[in-house]
Amino acid sequence: MSAASEEKNALLLGTNKLALQDRLSRFPTSLLLLLTILTLGGLFVLYSAVGGSGNGDYVWRQAARFGVGLALMFSIAMFGGEKIYRRYAYLLYAIALLLLIVVFLTGSIGMGARRWLALGFLNLQPSELMKVTMVLALARYFHDRSFSQGIGFTNLFVPLLMILLPTALIIKQPDLGTSILLVAVGMVVIVAAGLKWKVFIAVLSMIAASLPLGWNMMHEYQRRRILTLFSPEKDPLGAGYHIIQSKIAIGSGGIFGKGFMAGSQSQLNFLPERHTDFIFSVLAEEWGFVGGLLLLSIYCLIILRTLIIATMASDRFGLLTVVGLTALFGFQVLVNMGMVIGLLPVVGIPLPMISYGGSSMLTLMIAMGLMARVSIYSKQHGRTI
Amino acid sequence: MSSLENEYENFKVDAQRRLLLLGGLFAGAAILIGGRLFHLQVMNGGEYRSLAEDNRISLQPIPTLRGRILDRHGRILVDNSPDFQLSVIPELTGSIQAFLKRIQPYLDIPPDRIEKIVRQAHRQRSFLPLIIQSRLTWAQVNQIESRIHTFPGASIQVQTTRSYPNGDIASHLLGYLGEVNDKDSLQFSSIPFRSGDTVGKTGMERMFELALRGKEGVREMEVNAVGRHIRELKRQPARPGPDLRLTIDVELQAEAERALSGLSGSTVCLDPNNGEVLAMVSQPSYDPNQFIRGFTSDEWKRLVTDPKRPLINKAIQGQYPPGSTFKMVVALAALKEGKIDANTRHHCGGSVTRDNHTFYCWKNGGHGQMDIVSALEQSCDVFFYKVSESLGIDTLARHANAMGLGGLTGIGLEGEKPGLMPSRAWKKATSGHAWYPGETLVTAIGQGAVLATPLQLANMVATVANGGRLYRPTFSLTTKEQPPTPMHINAFHSAHLALVRKGLIAVLHGKSGTARQFKPEKVMAAGKTGTSQVVRHKREKSGKLIKEDNERFKDHALFVAYAPVDNPRIAISVIVEHGGHGSTAAAPVAKRIMDFYFDKYGITG
Repeated sequence: MSAASEEKNALLLGTNKLALQDRLSRFPTSLLLLLTILTLGGLFVLYSAVGGSGNGDYVWRQAARFGVGLALMFSIAMFGGEKIYRRYAYLLYAIALLLLIVVFLTGSIGMGARRWLALGFLNLQPSELMKVTMVLALARYFHDRSFSQGIGFTNLFVPLLMILLPTALIIKQPDLGTSILLVAVGMVVIVAAGLKWKVFIAVLSMIAASLPLGWNMMHEYQRRRILTLFSPEKDPLGAGYHIIQSKIAIGSGGIFGKGFMAGSQSQLNFLPERHTDFIFSVLAEEWGFVGGLLLLSIYCLIILRTLIIATMASDRFGLLTVVGLTALFGFQVLVNMGMVIGLLPVVGIPLPMISYGGSSMLTLMIAMGLMARVSIYSKQHGRTI
Repeated sequence: MSSLENEYENFKVDAQRRLLLLGGLFAGAAILIGGRLFHLQVMNGGEYRSLAEDNRISLQPIPTLRGRILDRHGRILVDNSPDFQLSVIPELTGSIQAFLKRIQPYLDIPPDRIEKIVRQAHRQRSFLPLIIQSRLTWAQVNQIESRIHTFPGASIQVQTTRSYPNGDIASHLLGYLGEVNDKDSLQFSSIPFRSGDTVGKTGMERMFELALRGKEGVREMEVNAVGRHIRELKRQPARPGPDLRLTIDVELQAEAERALSGLSGSTVCLDPNNGEVLAMVSQPSYDPNQFIRGFTSDEWKRLVTDPKRPLINKAIQGQYPPGSTFKMVVALAALKEGKIDANTRHHCGGSVTRDNHTFYCWKNGGHGQMDIVSALEQSCDVFFYKVSESLGIDTLARHANAMGLGGLTGIGLEGEKPGLMPSRAWKKATSGHAWYPGETLVTAIGQGAVLATPLQLANMVATVANGGRLYRPTFSLTTKEQPPTPMHINAFHSAHLALVRKGLIAVLHGKSGTARQFKPEKVMAAGKTGTSQVVRHKREKSGKLIKEDNERFKDHALFVAYAPVDNPRIAISVIVEHGGHGSTAAAPVAKRIMDFYFDKYGITG
């Protein structure tokens, strides 16, 4: 595409050089509102999960991160010109990949796995960066190409490489959850870009066929987690402990829950990892079925809102970016909830916006900023929902 | 529209279809999660709630106090005494090794015990108390208590253990406590034992286990995942076991033990009016405190292998041929059956011969003319040989059973032996052979197959003393409201009773009585000596007496008695193993007991 035709295109769409005022008015406030409700509610649950006022630091730190996240989201959504992320998508991807390699080679030890890069002021988790930049790079790749006849096998080489390269590095960390998430998100982008259904099914079959191989490559503890899912009672004090205690916490919450700070499973330390991966169990114990459904509904509304943004995107890059990031957000919700209620193996995926931890929240807020940006620059503007 | 835009529109239509699919996927997953939540929380909420409660609540037992054991006058036989224990909470004290090093000067813990403590410290959670030493002395308690603030996490707790203020007095009777085993928990299935609990193993401690035990209290504690106590939710206090008052008279018991000390044997004193056991002695005994403290393997080996069998309660577990003490049973049976009367006389020429077999009287040359009274007084064997022939073994056995021989008395002590009263049926059943008439003769003088425990013998003489009422011997005090009911009443004619009693009185007070040197100082008593053969005298076979000097082969000496004769208040049996003749070894023991008893309580009570 020549610079001239881009200019022309932008004029046609009427979206180039939007005034600050316009950008502000096009900002998807409903998304912002939903995220704020979600996060503030999450702070209450976190307060209870860390055992009340004695550990108030956790709550303040989490709130501060949300503040930083909001600033990030807003700046990403508002500033930099329409095409900046499309232009630098590959570069950002390359930086994230480089950081992953650095972690792979020298990474410091955190939780027994090499995931972090100590930068002094924060512990950077390159795999988090990779989640977003991979979506951007894939969106850019399919934006630049038109597959009017659908995407076939032969077209998959580069995008698959873009997915599998970081996945291989992350699986070595070892971080099975993030690896699977990356593959799933990448697949969603490719499918949305127009993958032929026949090819899609063929790829799925190939993945299914390679499962035994993957099983052999897994760490012992990863296998145990998967086996534990099917029979947690076999090892109630070992690998099954997390799942059993989580199910007891959730189930004992009943319809209306035991009340704020009154969950015995949470307050008496029976629940492991309760301020991070298992925070949903705390919520379900203390706020019951009603609280659990409410949270689920908020997540659904957010996903619905971002899917609507996708349908209104002004170009292929925007659409695919939003689809990929929505999948990233949605899959994390599903996998986390699925594991704490005992439907999926325990893989360390935090609950979006609620689990304590900086990297995850900042990544998600960056993703939200990118999606809000697509909304701002979408063709049909005006308030929807 | 430009082709570019057109192309994007086409893409978008396709992409939107695909987005719908993604949305559907999310919706489906959300429904699945919601359904699972419904299943866990709404449908199975109650079940999970009780699981959460089980997690949260830990039941802590509150120890109870075992009832004390008192004698009939309320004097303490078994007490609970404080046991001072030093324990430390490792997480409060830092290094357990350093703590042990600092506390060592006050305790002097043996090195192997130190090792054990350190190992235990590694095993258990660091907020749980670790027992350093039990049974601290007063000096140790004082020394440590005054410096306790320099030992953070250390504390001295008081527990209770059994103590025996009278030392080894009545040790067999009282029994001891030990750690509960499978057999115990099977026997006392109503008691919810926990491992490490103690339970009565023998004697009174076992017999009255249910009454003495009391009931543990329960504290419902809220605990966290690692078992640390958060707070107390509910408390059900412990109910201590009530004190148990026995029929035993501790002073009489002590005197009886002294009378038998240095000997191997047993004595039982009953109240013939109700079967109450006043004293029950088995010598040699052991110190029950040893069972609480524990034995060294040498001490234990010595106890188990001692030929005098100190661990056996001979009063209920020792079975001896009753010897001539059995003659009172033969006499009463023959009178009741009308086989003899006051005028029946038999000549004793020193022996009788039946079927080419000669049965000797103990007195060489014989007693001459004997009637029932003189035969009892002088313990003439020939008279009873002849009486037994007219009586027959089965009739004799029936009367012996009715006087408490040949079966458990049912006193309730574990391990009681039944003794043995032979009969035709018994012989047929055990050996398959027919009863020989000669065996009746041997049985009539309490030898051969017949066996009795000292308790049975005391009960036998008590039955004679009270006029035929056979009581079940008991350790529970009888009350006026609930007078004891005899197990059996022998309807003896008073004239028959008078005849037998006259003979028994003559044993002590007659001029030819076999125990005339040992009549009690203050009262008239009735009694009977006995000698039970340990090995059959060789002279029966060779016709020549071979004197056995070896202590092991000496006969057992027996004596049974009651007093006072007109209003009996005590019935006694004494057996001295390998003591020789009843008159020389056993009768002095009974005399000493009776003298002490009537000295203390007077003749009329």
